[in-house]
Amino acid sequence: MARVQSPARSRPSTYPGWFFLPAAIIYGVLFLLPTFASLYFSLTRWTLFNSTFIGLDNFAQFFREPFLIKGLINTVIYAVVSSGLKVVLGLLLAVLLTSQIAARGYLRSVVFFPVLVSTVGVGITFTVLMHPTQGMINEGLAMLGIKGPGWLVDPNLALISVALVDVWKGVGLATVIYIAGIVAIPQDYYEAARIDGSTPWQSFIYVTLPLCRPATVTVITLSFIGGLRTFDLIWAMTRGGPGFASDTIASVIYKQYQAGFYGLSTAGNVVLFVLIGVLVVPLTMLLNRKEGHE
Amino acid sequence: MAGLELKALHKTYGQVPVIKGVDLSVSHGEFVVFVGPSGCGKSTLLRMIAGLEDITSGELWIGDRLCNAVEPRDRGIAMVFQSYALYPHMTVYDNVGFGLKLARTDKAERDRKIRDAARILQMEHLLDRKPSQLSGGQRQRVAIGRAIVRQPEVFLFDEPLSNLDAALRVDMRMELAKLHQDLGSTMIYVTHDQVEAMTLADKIVVLNGGVVQQVGAPIDLYQRPANLFVAGFIGSPKMNFAEVSVQSINGGMVTVASKDISAVTVAADTKSLKVGDRLTLGVRPHHLSMDASGTLVGGVSLVERLGNETNVSLRLPSGATWLVVLDGDHNLRPAQALQLAIDAEKVVLFDAAGQSLLAAM
Amino acid sequence: MKLLRRYWLTALAILVSGVVFLIPFAFIIMMAFKDRKQAALLDFSWPQGLHLWDNVVEVVTTRNWMLLTAFINSSILTVASVTLLVVFAAMVGFVLQRRKAKWNGLVEFLILAGLMIPPAIVPTIWLLQGLGLFGKLHGLVLVEIAYGLPFSILLYRAFIATIPRDLDEAAIIDGARPFDVFFRVILPLLWPVTVTNIVVQSVAVFNDFTNPLYYLPGNQNATVQLTLYNFQSQFNSSYNLLFTNIALITIPPLIVFLFFNRQIVAGMTAGAVKG
Repeated sequence: MARVQSPARSRPSTYPGWFFLPAAIIYGVLFLLPTFASLYFSLTRWTLFNSTFIGLDNFAQFFREPFLIKGLINTVIYAVVSSGLKVVLGLLLAVLLTSQIAARGYLRSVVFFPVLVSTVGVGITFTVLMHPTQGMINEGLAMLGIKGPGWLVDPNLALISVALVDVWKGVGLATVIYIAGIVAIPQDYYEAARIDGSTPWQSFIYVTLPLCRPATVTVITLSFIGGLRTFDLIWAMTRGGPGFASDTIASVIYKQYQAGFYGLSTAGNVVLFVLIGVLVVPLTMLLNRKEGHE
Repeated sequence: MAGLELKALHKTYGQVPVIKGVDLSVSHGEFVVFVGPSGCGKSTLLRMIAGLEDITSGELWIGDRLCNAVEPRDRGIAMVFQSYALYPHMTVYDNVGFGLKLARTDKAERDRKIRDAARILQMEHLLDRKPSQLSGGQRQRVAIGRAIVRQPEVFLFDEPLSNLDAALRVDMRMELAKLHQDLGSTMIYVTHDQVEAMTLADKIVVLNGGVVQQVGAPIDLYQRPANLFVAGFIGSPKMNFAEVSVQSINGGMVTVASKDISAVTVAADTKSLKVGDRLTLGVRPHHLSMDASGTLVGGVSLVERLGNETNVSLRLPSGATWLVVLDGDHNLRPAQALQLAIDAEKVVLFDAAGQSLLAAM
Repeated sequence: MKLLRRYWLTALAILVSGVVFLIPFAFIIMMAFKDRKQAALLDFSWPQGLHLWDNVVEVVTTRNWMLLTAFINSSILTVASVTLLVVFAAMVGFVLQRRKAKWNGLVEFLILAGLMIPPAIVPTIWLLQGLGLFGKLHGLVLVEIAYGLPFSILLYRAFIATIPRDLDEAAIIDGARPFDVFFRVILPLLWPVTVTNIVVQSVAVFNDFTNPLYYLPGNQNATVQLTLYNFQSQFNSSYNLLFTNIALITIPPLIVFLFFNRQIVAGMTAGAVKG
């Protein structure tokens, strides 16, 4: 810099750096520090009071034990299913709720309210509703002459059932995000498309869909990360069961923690961290790059 | 009593110089206008005086104090922003009084000052309103009121009228001139509008590319521009330029001609001239008149009839286009040939470096 | 014809939304009214007799008024963490948006990392123990602040970008010190986004289950979500009480929803439009 002389240097900035301080200390100590510490402790056998370095043994165990591998796969399935359904249903609901139908305010509220309700409460409620014989869902299906499945007791279905409840609770958020995205599209485009002879379906494909892309990016990223990290709903509904059928990495972390395998639990944390990094970073890059082309 | 002294002021952002050594002195009570195209550094210079931008090098004196390292609040300045920058969550009363409150001025004193300012600006009825309830002109008044209560030695205005519509701008311009007369303070005013500059200023500072091009009274700048830039920038419509070559030199008179102009003899500083030199001739559109024996011939390409005057775009034989403003109404047709005389006493010659060759007065 | 179709669509939408979204809530409420025997049937039936008050009394007084303690704990947790969160996040958002500094890039990276990276749980417990904050309510307050900061900072930064810098400068010329510029000029202008922040983060903290489960073990300082979890095993045969508990802890979010619906939606959708 060409500072010949700088008599004004002593003046304090209008935007003082110490404004970062309270946030930086709390975030640094309670989030960053444990994150870095986890990289070390995941390589140890750990009792909280002393730790023995054991190299990559924890990770080796993670990829050797079938139930841990199952947890890894489940996590990805859960995230893909729940975020995929949220995107599709959220978009459909948003289109419906921005169209000319009556009672829009009521419908928006009804769809959105579950977002604000306690996850544990929702989990317990649906555990009861999904009871294989007495549950309301299967009784309702029986009235229609359908024999309902054993939602949470069938090992092949338990994970998907929880993911469906996740969608029930979270689709409202996806919907309002899409509504915000659709409302922001200037009406001119639709009018121009209509003058060009576009049908409502074509308008949806060629106007709504590309122009609410930022909303899609937000919904996918939010719900995918949320799905990968999910713990409370699974814990409230199945505790990872039956057997290990609906275990995810987050529930494995909790189980190992309860069992006192702190090193292994922390390794689970690192695995989840890496998994999110490996899946989400390329995903967001892909989503954002395509947007740049338009 | 506070004048201003700017000594070799420099400002660089990273490696990029924006102010390249400005020297200027402003005496107490003067109304100085910084004018120039956008990006010329005029706003930066003002903000350096205000203390919103650091001074990279050089000295800024306000009154008899070196102010480089002085906090804005201690410089004895007040500033009116282009966007007015009124605090949206405060009433007009609190907006005007905010600075006094920060300075812990006693409440009765503060109230008196706020009401004085409101009276001067005839906005007493607005004091309880929020900025969002005000029109553009009213916001402008509040912004000025906020400056007045500080009783500054120097007022700084950053394009204060550019957000107003044309009619209001004329009104506010006159009010500002009146305010200057009444308060007698030093005022520094940044604008890109040369009409504002010409009408308000005691002294105009023309800036381009971070360098002062010329400092002087408005009429001096109009009549005796120091270089091509000032000549082109000051005056509306813009001055016409033509490449000419020196035909003959006779004492303080030089005769020039070009493809389009048969010959014009102009008083100029002829010391360094010789026959055959390439120069630039500047002629204002108002200094051309219809004359059957004129030295300039061209074809009419566009006519704007304003009633009291007629603007003509003239296509010259060389292909250049000149603008001519003729007094009164003339019903001219496109493609019609027009013969014009140049008022030789009012034209300016510039050398190859763009500096004017005005004869000393 | 078109009108008829619209009418049909509306009716269908209301019907489906009712079945999918309202029946579960109706179920919760009806269960809360039932007695133990009827609740055990788990069916969607009209309560025989009104047992709501009995249920409420029993849920609240169980285990030495644990639910009441939990409500107090959750309130303290929510108010304390959201208050500090809002002030600290606004300060960071302000300086981050206004000042062009070399380390802005790093700060932004850390914010995004905070939104993505799952917290390292056992190391955090280890650290809290070292600081004497493990199992303490104020320890959890700090954790909630740490986890909530990235989102709140992003909300604030986006909003501050819409406040013209001229205002800061006008305040400086008026003689404001940096502290005054922020607390007297900028912070009051942030009120809309502050409301959004308060509402969104309050709901998140109040409903948080995972962090209290890990960082606040023990019954004497449980939060409402933990009591629900604990009751789940205890009331295994008393579904009426379990659902009364669910109904009770749904009341605060319901109130927030009724009064601040708009702000919540605004906060949660922020960034969706601009991406």
